[in-house]
Amino acid sequence: MKSFLLPLLFFILLLSGCSKEVSQQGSMAPTATLKIKFEHQFKGQPLELNTNYQNDFGEAFSIGRFKYYISNIVLYRGSNASVLPETYFLIDENDTASKTLRIPIAAGNYDQMHLLLGVDSARNVSGAQTGALDPLNDMFWTWNTGYIMVKLEGSSPLSTQPNNRIQYHIGGFSGAYSALRQMETGFPSSVEVKSGQTLTVTFNADLQRWFNGVHDLPIAGQTVAMTPGPLSARYADNAVSMFSVKDARVQ
Amino acid sequence: MRWRCTISTLVFCVAAASMLINACNKKDVEKGTTSVSFEVPAGFPQPVYDFSKNPLTREGIALGRQLFYDGILSKDGQTPCASCHQQFAAFATFDHDLSHGVDNGFTTRNAQALSNLAWQQSFHHDGGILNLETQPLAPLTAANEMGETVAGVVAKLKGSGKYQQAFRDAFGEGEITSQKMLKALTQFMVTLVSANSKYDQVKRGTTSFTIAEQAGYATFKAKCASCHQEPLFTDGSFRNNGIGINPFLNDGGRIRITRNAADSLKFQVPSLRNVDLSFPYMHDGRFYTLQQVLTHYRTGIQQTPNLDPALQFGISLSNTEASNVLAFLKTLTDSAFVKDPRFAAP
Ligand code: HEC
Ligand code: HEC
Repeated sequence: MKSFLLPLLFFILLLSGCSKEVSQQGSMAPTATLKIKFEHQFKGQPLELNTNYQNDFGEAFSIGRFKYYISNIVLYRGSNASVLPETYFLIDENDTASKTLRIPIAAGNYDQMHLLLGVDSARNVSGAQTGALDPLNDMFWTWNTGYIMVKLEGSSPLSTQPNNRIQYHIGGFSGAYSALRQMETGFPSSVEVKSGQTLTVTFNADLQRWFNGVHDLPIAGQTVAMTPGPLSARYADNAVSMFSVKDARVQ
Repeated sequence: MRWRCTISTLVFCVAAASMLINACNKKDVEKGTTSVSFEVPAGFPQPVYDFSKNPLTREGIALGRQLFYDGILSKDGQTPCASCHQQFAAFATFDHDLSHGVDNGFTTRNAQALSNLAWQQSFHHDGGILNLETQPLAPLTAANEMGETVAGVVAKLKGSGKYQQAFRDAFGEGEITSQKMLKALTQFMVTLVSANSKYDQVKRGTTSFTIAEQAGYATFKAKCASCHQEPLFTDGSFRNNGIGINPFLNDGGRIRITRNAADSLKFQVPSLRNVDLSFPYMHDGRFYTLQQVLTHYRTGIQQTPNLDPALQFGISLSNTEASNVLAFLKTLTDSAFVKDPRFAAP
């Protein structure tokens, strides 16, 4: 019996090495699913594009486009990390399907999840990419190469740009002004996910905090952010402060 | 019993593994590509470029060459990579300080000569590009260069029967993607190896320098090679060589990338291979002759912030030394490279 099981296990391991998708989960076959949902809001209400809003500085504006990268998802059981397949997700307010991520995971107990808001530094410099990281998604700076981690565009009467545009392209992956931000969320209690079940984690992202989640960045001060640097890093702080876990449940 | 169990496990695993490896590689066999090995010239360090993620093939290089010379990558159909990177000028723009892009646009910097790119860590005068594969995105999408969008170029390639075939030949079945386009362009670019100048031949012992060249080489090693390091003739660093800011372009160089005041007016040390052919010189193409460059180093250094300490007092060269250095610089011309039919328009 044993002499049959062992090779089988090896075989599965090898198989995972070939597809690369599951290799990082070690020998734990992914029989359950992690579903991450992002709900974008403004002041607690579902976000509407091209709708007039007012931020906490009383400044009028509207949002036309909101996109960001999520990567490096890790589930924890105590201090045991379960690194999920190396996958990059581009979440786009304009594309409903993009706001729900589905990732195969091993069954087990989990009490924490870490995500990266952005694309890790290694991937910024490893050459031509495809899928969510394809430069045709307009999330890549070509002259100072690297991914735009978060993009918020819209308009405001306070802007003197053409069409009253406001444009915040937040990025930079190295040094003091890196815009990469880690999100670490503990679940209210350890959740048990059995084989065949789905763990659904729902995040709220409230764009009210874009302008003052951590740093005060009124529109009157800047209508455009387009390069890695200190300003971009401050927007990144505000951006990550927009996210909070609404709930985590197993079905 | 224990033993037998382990052995049977091993046998099974080896069999399973070989099956799987076959499964993984089968695609390459199906593609029918011919692999090309990258030769590192004698005396050169190991290349920086990671070939493992983009193995060279005859078909990939051929596709890259076709793309490099094809206006289809530009908005007006007339502005291929090769319009600014001309082989006879060592892949710089011949006799232009700035180059012409689409819509009568001008580049804001001098087009670099292209060679030995597989050894380069970062690209452009300010080093803003960190992987050769992503470099083409810059000229493709710049309004003053090729004026396209990535999506636009990919759509045009998908609509071309010729390219559908060429991409299949190089990468097998499957859609044309920007990734494949960039990898093919990179395959062609890394083959642009220049290592057969008179200097290289002297190093290999197949010919010898004239007396003037030999003396110029000695002076070069003493006074220039700290930045223009052999055998690539650059150390890849960013320096302010005292040429002063160009008031029309106002280009701070490296500071654009790092936002660090200590990097103001620093530019990447360029290779000097084929330098006699790649005039004009410096990031803005301000000097048209090597004579002018030497005069700059001898008497023209401007005391600007972050001036490299090695150039604080300029470089003292007697007239004889200067003309010998010039003679030496000309030995860096690789005439086989600029005439190599493998690099010419397909
Ligand atoms: C309109 C002219 C123009 C076109 C077209 C053009 N380039 Fe360039 N190229 C330049 C200029 C100018 C630079 C220097 C840019 C800088 O430093 O900001 C450059 C730099 C480069 C470099 C960096 C070299 C180094 O040593 O760092 C590479 C590689 C390159 N070009 C490849 C290409 C490829 C591939 C294409 C086609 C997809 C292309 N170029 C199209 C003008 C052009
Ligand atoms: C302190 C470092 C340093 C030293 C020493 C130095 N250079 Fe340079 N050199 C540079 C930098 C940096 C540039 C590029 C400046 C720019 O692009 O504006 C450059 C550019 C050049 C160029 C123009 C190349 C091109 O393609 O545009 C030539 C030619 C040149 N140097 C020759 C020399 C010679 C000959 C010597 C010795 C007499 C020398 N350099 C010493 C740093 C140095």
